[in-house]
Amino acid sequence: MLPEGTFAALIGPNGAGKSSLLRSIGRALEPTEGVIYLNDRDLKKTPAQEAARTMAVVPQETAVDFDFTVEELVMMGRYPHQQRFRGGSALDREIVQEAIAATGITHLAAQSTARLSGGERQRAIIARALAQEPKLLLLDEPTANLDIKFQVEFLELLCKLNRTRGVTILAAIHDLNLAAQYFEYFVLLAEKKILALGKPAEVLTPENIYTAYRTPVAVHRNPLHGKLNITVLKQLEAEKGSSGKSGLKVHVIGGGEEAVLLLSQLLEAGFRLSVGPVTREDSCHRFAAYHRLPVVTLPPFSPITDEHHARHLALLEQAEAIIVPSLPFGPGNLRNLEAVAGLPASKPIFLLEEKPFPARDYSGGQAQVIYEEIKKKGARTFFDSTALLSGLEAEKIYV
Amino acid sequence: MPERGEQKKKRSSPLAGALAGRRQRRVCLLLLGLVLLVTLFYAASLGSVSFSNKEVFYIIAEKITGYVAPSLEISAAKKDIFLQIRLPRVFLAALVGASLAVAGATFQGLFRNPLADPYIIGVSSGAALGASLAVVLNLSWGWAGLGAVPLLAYAGGLATIVLVYRVSRQGDTAPILMLLLAGIAVSAFLTALVSLSIYFSGERLHQIIFWMMGGLTGAKWNYLRVMLPYMLLGFGVIYFFARELNALLLGEETAVYLGIEVEKLKKIFLAAASLLVAAAVSTSGIIGFVGLVIPHMVRLVAGPDHRFLLPVSALGGAILLIGADTLARTVLAPAELPVGIITALLGAPFFLYLLRKRRKIRYFDSP
Repeated sequence: MLPEGTFAALIGPNGAGKSSLLRSIGRALEPTEGVIYLNDRDLKKTPAQEAARTMAVVPQETAVDFDFTVEELVMMGRYPHQQRFRGGSALDREIVQEAIAATGITHLAAQSTARLSGGERQRAIIARALAQEPKLLLLDEPTANLDIKFQVEFLELLCKLNRTRGVTILAAIHDLNLAAQYFEYFVLLAEKKILALGKPAEVLTPENIYTAYRTPVAVHRNPLHGKLNITVLKQLEAEKGSSGKSGLKVHVIGGGEEAVLLLSQLLEAGFRLSVGPVTREDSCHRFAAYHRLPVVTLPPFSPITDEHHARHLALLEQAEAIIVPSLPFGPGNLRNLEAVAGLPASKPIFLLEEKPFPARDYSGGQAQVIYEEIKKKGARTFFDSTALLSGLEAEKIYV
Repeated sequence: MPERGEQKKKRSSPLAGALAGRRQRRVCLLLLGLVLLVTLFYAASLGSVSFSNKEVFYIIAEKITGYVAPSLEISAAKKDIFLQIRLPRVFLAALVGASLAVAGATFQGLFRNPLADPYIIGVSSGAALGASLAVVLNLSWGWAGLGAVPLLAYAGGLATIVLVYRVSRQGDTAPILMLLLAGIAVSAFLTALVSLSIYFSGERLHQIIFWMMGGLTGAKWNYLRVMLPYMLLGFGVIYFFARELNALLLGEETAVYLGIEVEKLKKIFLAAASLLVAAAVSTSGIIGFVGLVIPHMVRLVAGPDHRFLLPVSALGGAILLIGADTLARTVLAPAELPVGIITALLGAPFFLYLLRKRRKIRYFDSP
C-alpha cells in the first residue's frame, strides 16, 4: 500500500481508525481481519526484533515516568540491534549522538526526561525512533503537543529524514493545512476504511473531505506557497447567501484582500451584496463567486471596458446603498469612482477610510478631486468597518 | 551514513565518559560487596554471646582449613553458636533482604508504579494462608529438612500468583491494571481466610502472629540450602532481562515498538519475582518495607537503569536486612523483636522523607 520512500500523511476524522491502523502496523494491536505486510512478508511471522529494526513508531502518548536521561532514553532505541550484556558499543553511541543531534537536543543529552517540556520530550522520543535506524517511521499525531514553531521545525526534520535517508514516513496528522504544506502523499481514512489515497490534489477535494468529516470546506491554492489550503466554511454563512434577512441591497466597490473582511461582515449582518468590477484573480471576486453574489467580472489584466462599466452602473442603479471601501485608486479603476460620483444625491453613499485617501491615490490627484466631489454630495465617511456597519443598520430602518 | 567515520574523533568524549561510567559502576558494586561481607561477619559476632574479631577469624579459618589456633581456646558450644546459629541467620537475612529488594524493584518496573512492593499481587497473603493452615492444623510432616510451615507458605505464595495471573488474563494478554486489581482482590480474600484461621487458632495464635510479623529466628543452614537455588534462579532470570525491564518502564506499547515480546516477558518477570518472594516469605515471614524502600533509595542515587539498579538493590537489601535483624535481636536482648517491626519502624519514616524530597540526585552515568 505504501511505496518505499513515501512521505505520507494519514488523515481522517476522530475515530476513523488512524491510531488503530498505526498501532496495528507497529504490532501493538492485532488486526481483527486482514494481514499486514512488511517488505512483502507477513508481519505476524516477522520476529519482533527484526520488525523493530525495520520500523519505528512514535506513539501519541509520550509520557516517561521514570528518571532516565535523554541519552539513556535514546539508547533504548538501539535495543533491537544490540546483543545481551554487550552494553552500548561505540557504534551504538555514535548513532545515538547522531539521532540526538538530528533532533536538535544535544544540549539536553544529559538531562532527565522528567524535566523536559512537551516539545523537548517529543524530540527525545523521535531521537529514540531514529536510533532504531528504521526504514519505516510511523508517527501518531506527532505535532499535537507542539507549538507552531516546533511543528514547523519538526515537519521539516521529517522532510529531511525522508529526503536524505530515504526513510518512509507515515504520520497521522489532524491539521490538514499543515499537512498539505509538507506532505506529498495522503491517505484519507473514514469509518475504518481508506477513502482515498494519492497526491494532495487527488485526496484533498471538498467532496472527499465532506464525505470523511461531514464538514463543508473550500479548497484553493494558498497564495504564499501554492500548496492546497483548506478553509472550513461556516454553516450559517453558506445558508445565508444573497437572500439575507433585511433585504437592503448594498453595492461594494470591489478589489483587494482587505475588502474581503468587510464583505464577509456585511454578508453576516444580512445585507444583500453586489460587488463592483474586479478581475477574476481578485480575492473579492473569489468571495463573490463563492457566495454567488452579483459581480462585475473583469478579464485578467484588463482595464474597465465600456461594457463592464455599463454593467457596473446597472448594479449601482439597483443598490439601495453604496460602499466605497478603503481601496487604492489609480488609472485602472478611476472609472468606478466616477460612476459613484455620477449617482443621484438621493443614493446613500458610505465611504470607509481606514487609510486616509491621499495615501491611496495613485492617479496623480485626479481621484482625490472626484472623491471630494462625492463627499460634497453628502456621502458619509467612516473610519472603521464597525462604525460603517452601524451606519448601514440605521439606513436600513430609515429606508 | 558517510559522516560517521569523520565524526569519530569528535565523539570520543561521550564514549570515554561511558567507559568511566561503567568502571564507576563496577567499583561501586565491588565496594558494596565488601561492605556486605564485613557486615555479615560483624553482625554474626554481635549478640548475647559476643565474639571478638580474632575469634571470628579463627573460627572461620578452622572451619575452612581445619587449622586449630593454638593460642586461642574457643569452646565447642561457642563455635556452635557462631557456626550453627549466627552464621545461617545472617546469611539468610542477606538472601531474604536481597530477594525482597530485587522483587520490589522488578514489580515497580513491571507495573510502572513506584508504590509497588514485593507483596503487591498477593504472594504474601497466599504464603500467610499456607503458613497459618500449617500452624492451625498442627502439621508436623516435612521435606528436605523443612517443616510444614515454610513448605505450605511457599506453595501458597506460588499458587496465589498463578491464580492472579489466570484471573487477570484476557485472551492472550494480561493487562497490568488487571493484574494489580486482581492481586488486590485475591489478596483481600486470602487475608480474610488468614484472619479466619487466626480466629480458630486458639493457643497457637502467637505462632501465626509472629510468623506474619516476620523474623529470622529459626534460621538453619537447611533453609539456605533449599531456598538458595530458587533465589539464584529468580535473580538470574530477572538480571538476564534487565534491559527489557528498562524498556517496559517506557510503557508496554513502546516496548512492543522496540521489538520486545511484552507478554512473554511479563510472565517471566512475574514468575521470577514471585519465586524470590515466595522463597523469602516462606523462610522468614512477611518482612515489610525492604522491598519497597531499597529500590527507591537506589534509584535516587543510581538512576532507573535496571542493569545497575538490580544488583545494587540486592546488595543494599542484604545489608539493610542484616542490620535490621541484628537490631531486632540485640535491642531488647535476650528478648527478640520481630524484624518486620524494625524495618517498618525505620522504613516508613524514611519512605515519607523520600516522598517529600523532590530533588533527585544521580551519581552514576550510564555506560
